[in-house]
Amino acid sequence: MSKRIVVIGGDGAGMSAASQAKRRDPSLDIIAFEKGAIVSYSA
Amino acid sequence: MVDNTEELIARTPEEFKSRLGIAVRTHHEVVQIDRSRQRVAVQGSGGTMWESYDELVIATGSVPIVPAWPGVDSDGIFTVKTLENGRAIRDYIEQYHPRHAVVVGAGYIGLEMAENLRHLGIETTILEQNGQVMPTMDADMAEFVSDALKGLGVRVHLQEEVVGFEVYRGRVQAVQTRHGSVPGDLVVLGLGVRPQTTLAQEAGIPLGVKNAIRVTPYLMTEVPHVWAVGDATQTLHQVTGLPSYVALATVANKQGRIAGMNLSGASIAFPGVLGTAITRVGSTEVARTGLTLAEASAAGIQAIETRIQAETKLGYFEDVSPMTVKIVAEVSSGRILGGQIVGGSGSGKRIDTIATAVSAKMTATQVVDLDLAYAPPFSDVWDPVQIAARTLVSKI
Repeated sequence: MSKRIVVIGGDGAGMSAASQAKRRDPSLDIIAFEKGAIVSYSA
Repeated sequence: MVDNTEELIARTPEEFKSRLGIAVRTHHEVVQIDRSRQRVAVQGSGGTMWESYDELVIATGSVPIVPAWPGVDSDGIFTVKTLENGRAIRDYIEQYHPRHAVVVGAGYIGLEMAENLRHLGIETTILEQNGQVMPTMDADMAEFVSDALKGLGVRVHLQEEVVGFEVYRGRVQAVQTRHGSVPGDLVVLGLGVRPQTTLAQEAGIPLGVKNAIRVTPYLMTEVPHVWAVGDATQTLHQVTGLPSYVALATVANKQGRIAGMNLSGASIAFPGVLGTAITRVGSTEVARTGLTLAEASAAGIQAIETRIQAETKLGYFEDVSPMTVKIVAEVSSGRILGGQIVGGSGSGKRIDTIATAVSAKMTATQVVDLDLAYAPPFSDVWDPVQIAARTLVSKI
């Protein structure tokens, strides 16, 4: 089974980590949970 | 301000899934971390479920500081952090047409909000508890920023301590301070942020400065298989080596990238921060990096500073404007420790030369010797940062 990474928080830091990890290792199973309605905005 | 908030969103959840293969669940809140069984409890519309992890990344961010002032939860009092906050302020202005805005706090957020509110034609007053605006800068540099604010028609009240609010039918009418009352039917709190770390704390993950999560340079917490990045974490100051808390998007994104690399097999350390920051008030650019003289002293470093006045380009250009550069260096080594810049268009981003010098542990002499770009529309033959470095060399 592929390694499972859970990210808490879908803002810049969490989504940067998720994107970078997935790009370098596509076999990773990554899921991010965000309590709000919006992920990774540039503000 | 941008006209359409949709322009600000970097990616949608669907894009993360289709382009990157990352599942994103919005409106899902993690309410508990079970570190012994490596799982988290997630609350969504369908109830609460457990999700197991091999590695967990905590990126819970920060929340605006809201003191427990009486009446602080009245209508018309806002914080500014998320897009939703911005939309709420815009909607309130459209509905109630406030005439007097009060911005509490003269840091980066406060200044930007004051300028934007003034731009909308609203009478705006800034209340700051300290004796100067921009408390992360030296008072003499902050004086230029105060002037720029006044130039925009923003009133600035220093050493003004908020104690409460006057409220009528649930809506704010004025801000009460130790000195009296300041009319304000719109109030924006710009008092900085604090890390949102209750979840981590409840899971027994060690916290540090300002209750931010303690992490190794590799961005792992002190609990196995748990990582932390962004505004929720404590970081190290590159110059002093001391723990510090800096909530900035630049830092958050860099930490995220490094944690992502380490999660996929790398072993890379985050070097820490300098507290580099920039903003603009009207046409006045304001920037800082590293240590001030006072901060160097507090860290036990014997330092010296120099302040020079220069111009953004050669004097025969119509749009030339003055700029002031301050540089701080260690006396014994001449090493650059920090700097501050205030001036017209083209001055602020020159802070990056100083930030690079601090990061690379360069001396004032080495900055003087840098081969920087020159042509009359951009600079005098000596860049203002190098003029400051030259002055410093002659002082040491």
